[in-house]
Amino acid sequence: MTIKALPAALLLASAAIGTAALAQEPAPAATVIAIPPMTSPDSGTKGNEMLAIAWQATQLIETDLRQTAELMPLKPDRKDYYSYPEVTAPSFSKWRDRGAKALITGFVQSRSDGRYTIGCYVYDVDKGRELAREGFVITPADLRRAAHKCSGLAYKAITGSPGMFDARIAYVAETGSAAARVKRIAIMDSDGFDHSYVTAGGTTVLTPRLSPKAGRLAYVGFEAGMPQIRLVDLSTGAQHPLLPGVMTFAPRYSPDGSKMLFSMMLGANSDIYVIGAEGGMPQRLTTSPAIDTDASYSPDGSRIVFESDRSGRQQLYVMDSNGSNQRRLSFGAAAYSAPEWSPDGKLIAFTWRVGDTRRIGIMNADGSGEKLLTAGPADEAPSWAASSRELVFQRTDASGRPGIYRVSLDGSAPRKMTIPQDGSDPDWSANMD
Amino acid sequence: MRKEIILIAMLVAAPASAQLPFLSKRAGPPAVVQNPIELLRADFAAQSGGTTVYFAVGSAQLTPQARTVLTGQAAWLRQHPEVGVRIEGHGDPTDTRDHALALGAERAAEARDYLLLLGIPSAQVTTMTWGKERPGPPSAFTNIVEVLGSAPVTTGA
Repeated sequence: MTIKALPAALLLASAAIGTAALAQEPAPAATVIAIPPMTSPDSGTKGNEMLAIAWQATQLIETDLRQTAELMPLKPDRKDYYSYPEVTAPSFSKWRDRGAKALITGFVQSRSDGRYTIGCYVYDVDKGRELAREGFVITPADLRRAAHKCSGLAYKAITGSPGMFDARIAYVAETGSAAARVKRIAIMDSDGFDHSYVTAGGTTVLTPRLSPKAGRLAYVGFEAGMPQIRLVDLSTGAQHPLLPGVMTFAPRYSPDGSKMLFSMMLGANSDIYVIGAEGGMPQRLTTSPAIDTDASYSPDGSRIVFESDRSGRQQLYVMDSNGSNQRRLSFGAAAYSAPEWSPDGKLIAFTWRVGDTRRIGIMNADGSGEKLLTAGPADEAPSWAASSRELVFQRTDASGRPGIYRVSLDGSAPRKMTIPQDGSDPDWSANMD
Repeated sequence: MRKEIILIAMLVAAPASAQLPFLSKRAGPPAVVQNPIELLRADFAAQSGGTTVYFAVGSAQLTPQARTVLTGQAAWLRQHPEVGVRIEGHGDPTDTRDHALALGAERAAEARDYLLLLGIPSAQVTTMTWGKERPGPPSAFTNIVEVLGSAPVTTGA
C-alpha cells in the first residue's frame, strides 16, 4: 500500500508559498494549532458524503497531533466550517484571536473513479502565510493514512522534524500469570489503531524489529527449543528462520532494509554478525570473548553502535560497518545497554542500569551529553520515533506488569500507550513511504 | 541473588513416554529403561546432587560448588548413556533482554563444556537459553512442556 503525493500544480493556487519552519529550536511550550473541519468542493448528496469523510480526517489529524509534546490542537468544531475557496484564503485574524499560532485547512473531493483527492495546507497564523501543502489521491480504505500524512506535514512544518504518524509499532503482547506468560508479537499504527497479532502465542517470542518501511518483521522465537531469529513477510504472513540450528537474537535491519545485524552464539561466545535481510552467509563483525550484542546502524549505514561487557560491565561501543575501528562510547559507572541510533543520526538512546534500577537515557552520537529521560525503576528497550524527538519504551510497574510508554526529549512525563494487554519490547518503524 | 541453570533429564526409551512433546528417542540399541520419566528425573536429582547450578550475578564462570554438582551429574550420566539431557541457561531478570539471553547461553555452554571435559559424549548434552524469560527456579517441568510445545529436542545419535 502506497500513497503518492500529488504534484503541487494539482493543488489549489495560493498567494504565498513558503516552507520555512516556524521555529528551529523546540519551543518551551506546545504550539497551539487550529484544525477547523476540512471542507469539500462537491455539492449535493456527494458533497454531504465528502464533508462526512472530511470530518473524519479532521478528527484523525487532531488525535495525531494531540499525542505529540510539541503541538496542542484546538478541538475541531463544526461551527468553524469554511468554504472551499477559504482553504487557501483562511481568516487568520479569527485564529489569531483564539490563540492559535498555526492552522491546518484542507478538503476532500470525490473522483469519478471512486477515489478521493485530499488536500492539506499548513499556515503560520501570525505571519499569515502558507508553510506547507500536500495532496493525495487515495482509495477510501486509505483515509487514515492520508490523515496521518497531513498530520506529518503539519508536524514537520512546525518542528522541522519528520512526523511519526504514518509509522507502525511492533511489540510483544503479554497475558497470563508471571509463571506462565503467553507472549505474542503484535503490530499497530503509531496511534494504536489497526492492531493485529503476528504470532499465535504457542511459543515464547521476543524483540520484534520492523523493517524500515514496516513491510517485514524479524523477531526471536523459541519454537525450535532455543532462541532463533524468525523473519515474517507482513503482507503474506509467511515466516522462516534466519539461520536454522543455531542460537540467534537481537535482530536489527539496516536503514535501507537490505541487511540485518544480529547476535549469534558460537559455543560460549556471543558476537555481532551481519547478513542479508532474508538470510545468506553471515559475516562476523566482533570477535571479543565478552558478550557483544544489541547492534544498531547509524542512519547512513556507515557505523554501528552496540553493547559489550568486555570491560567487565555493559558499555556502549561504536565501530565502522565492517567491524573495524571499535571504540568505547560510554564511560559512566552504570551499565549501558540496548542502544539505538536516532533516525537523524545525532543521538543514541540506551537502557541505563545501576543495581536493579533501569532507566532510559540518551547521549550524543560522540558519547557526550548523557541525559536520563525517565525515572525508572524498571524502564528498558527504547526505540526511536521517526521524528528523533520521541522514544517508545517498556516500563514494568510495581506489580510486575510491563506496558508501552512514549517519552519526548523535552523532559515531559512519559505517557502510557493504550494497548489491549500488557506489552514489552516495543519497536517503532520509520514512516511507511 | 544467585542464578541457576537447570539440567533436565529426558527419558527417551518407552514409546508411551514419547507422547511428551519434548522427548525424543535416541537411536541405537533398543533401550531398556522402564522407569517413568519422573522417577528417572528424581533419581538424577538425588544421585547427582542437584539439577541446578548457580552462578554469581553477571558471571558465567563455574564456581567450585557448580563443578561439584556437575561432577555428580556427569557420574550419573555415565551410568545412563541412554538419557539425553538439555541444559537451560537463565539470566538476571533485571538485566536487559538480549544480554540476559547471551549470559544464559554462556552459562549453559560452560556447564556443557565441563560435562564434556568429564567424558560425557557431546551428543548426550544439548544447551539452550531462556534469558530472563521464566525467571526464578523453574521447578515445574510442565511449564517447559507448555512452552516448547512440539519442538523437537535432539539428543544426538
